[in-house]
Amino acid sequence: MSDSILDIQNLSLSFQGLTETVDVLDNINLSINRGERVALVGASGSGKSVIARIILGLLQSQKGAIVKGSVRFRGIELEAATGNQIESLRGREISMIFQDPTSSMNPVYKIGTIFHEILNRGTHNISKKLALIKASKLLEEVSITEFKRVLESYPFQLSGGMNQRVMIALALANKPALLIADEPGTALDVTVQAQTLKLMHNLVKKNNTAVLFISHNLGVVRQFADRVYVIYKGRIVESGSTSSIFENTKHPYTKALMNAVPKITSKSFFDASDDSSLFKQPAFHHKDREIGQ
Amino acid sequence: MPPILRLIVQRISLALVVLIGVSMLIFAIARVIPGDPARIALGPNATVEQVEILRETLHLNDPIYVQYGYFVRDISQGDLGVSLYTNRPVTIDIAQFLPATLELVIVAGIMMICIGLPLGMISARYKGQFIDNLLRVVSLLGVSAPSFVWAVILMLLFAYFLPIFPVAGRIEDIYVIKAVTGFLLIDTLIDGNIDAFFNASWHIFLPAFALALSGIGQAARLTRANMIETYNKPYIEMMRAYGVSQFRIASRYAFKPSLIPSLTIIGLDFAAMLGNAFLVEAVFAWPGLSRYGVAVILRKDLNAIVGTVLVISLTFVLVNIIVDLLIAFLNPRIRYSQRPK
Repeated sequence: MSDSILDIQNLSLSFQGLTETVDVLDNINLSINRGERVALVGASGSGKSVIARIILGLLQSQKGAIVKGSVRFRGIELEAATGNQIESLRGREISMIFQDPTSSMNPVYKIGTIFHEILNRGTHNISKKLALIKASKLLEEVSITEFKRVLESYPFQLSGGMNQRVMIALALANKPALLIADEPGTALDVTVQAQTLKLMHNLVKKNNTAVLFISHNLGVVRQFADRVYVIYKGRIVESGSTSSIFENTKHPYTKALMNAVPKITSKSFFDASDDSSLFKQPAFHHKDREIGQ
Repeated sequence: MPPILRLIVQRISLALVVLIGVSMLIFAIARVIPGDPARIALGPNATVEQVEILRETLHLNDPIYVQYGYFVRDISQGDLGVSLYTNRPVTIDIAQFLPATLELVIVAGIMMICIGLPLGMISARYKGQFIDNLLRVVSLLGVSAPSFVWAVILMLLFAYFLPIFPVAGRIEDIYVIKAVTGFLLIDTLIDGNIDAFFNASWHIFLPAFALALSGIGQAARLTRANMIETYNKPYIEMMRAYGVSQFRIASRYAFKPSLIPSLTIIGLDFAAMLGNAFLVEAVFAWPGLSRYGVAVILRKDLNAIVGTVLVISLTFVLVNIIVDLLIAFLNPRIRYSQRPK
């Protein structure tokens, strides 16, 4: 499909240990279309974040990592096994937002310097002066009005929410076609998280940026995503449009995930079964109309 | 007051306290060691009266706090007294011997930074690979043998078996260099005598390298450990995710945060070389302050001992202030945490 931004086919990942091989991802198929917001939902350790790192080619150099399968970006094969083809796209066509914005920015460099470095990826040999002007505009887009002070600050001098806005501005600085958001703002409190997510939502909509949104927070996913993949222990167990996943939940694991969301009105803890044998049921893929067609 | 200025004032006042403490301590210790300095200075043939007269002029018969009072009075006028060993003012002796040692230590310090840090960076970059293992063995060797052993080995290898470097001294006698700073490497350049400059560099290379080796190993090992730790930080993954090149990350974004802890140790190593320099100076017949210091201690030359120790402490303290300022310069978290009192 010409409209496809990212197409992952039969991706698997295992780690070669000293005595045994540990399978982390098993036959993952996932696709994202232009401007589409796709969520990848699952528990900690289910393999969400490693998918993001494979797409960016950050994991392949790790000792003992064995990656198989194909990752195509705009129809171009990225050679997922080595990750070599991906380097030139990083920071230009694909960018990423990290979980904890404050620790994801170098503490001994000013925000302005970090902007200069990232903008240099999009426009080679950009001058510091021009980079700062561009950065100011980008910061204004994420509702930072005192951009001058922010650019002169070090990350540890700003609040978590402020850093998250900076992170979003950095991620969108070079107008990428795909944004990977790895549990954005999980380290922030809920109100700040909601504000920054809304900001991110509006910006990617405006720029028509495709998003791979990695999260364990179903409430946020429902508001943010067009389509959802549910991952359990390295396998996709259910996929479909957000509405069909939430309104017509099929797989037992997805149901358990939904039940686990604490409700403000409920006084007791959720009543979820611990019977994980149910979760091994075959995957269910909802037959939805493709979004954007 | 800007934070950096406050830091300087704070460190300098602390340094003064340290120096006063050191002066009291060394003043007392020098006088506690057994043996009569006047007798040693005058030799066994001097009469009791002659020794008594010298003791009187040196105020040795007064209580120690009165002696310290005289010392403070003199030092405030820039007078460290006369050496009983050379019969010259101690200040003149120090002015003659200090530059040679400082030059040696500074060149060794530069070697430590210019060789140790890159070795550590390369090791961290190729962690676990052949080159890393090789460099780790090399740096371990540097750390594990004392500098005078290296001095002898290097001298044997590169001055005796392979006569590439000279065996002793600071410069060949044929060159007559006007002393301006006392640093031959600088004075030869001031003179415009390039030949002499290369000759002096040739002479300083082996002793400085022997002195620097343990520091090089130390710096390499520390930098390696810090770099590896930094490489695992989220902000480095962020830079990689945005496609910043490996080289730029290694030389800039991972290097600067890793440098901060290394620098503290390098500063301490640098200052410790002032003391270690003695054995290297002895091996290479280097006319430096450390050799002078040992000679005067053996002679129980009170004024010279106190003067030498004070100058070495002063250098130690100055190096530490410089390191503190460098760290503050590199680490904004320290710079901005200096709160007004």
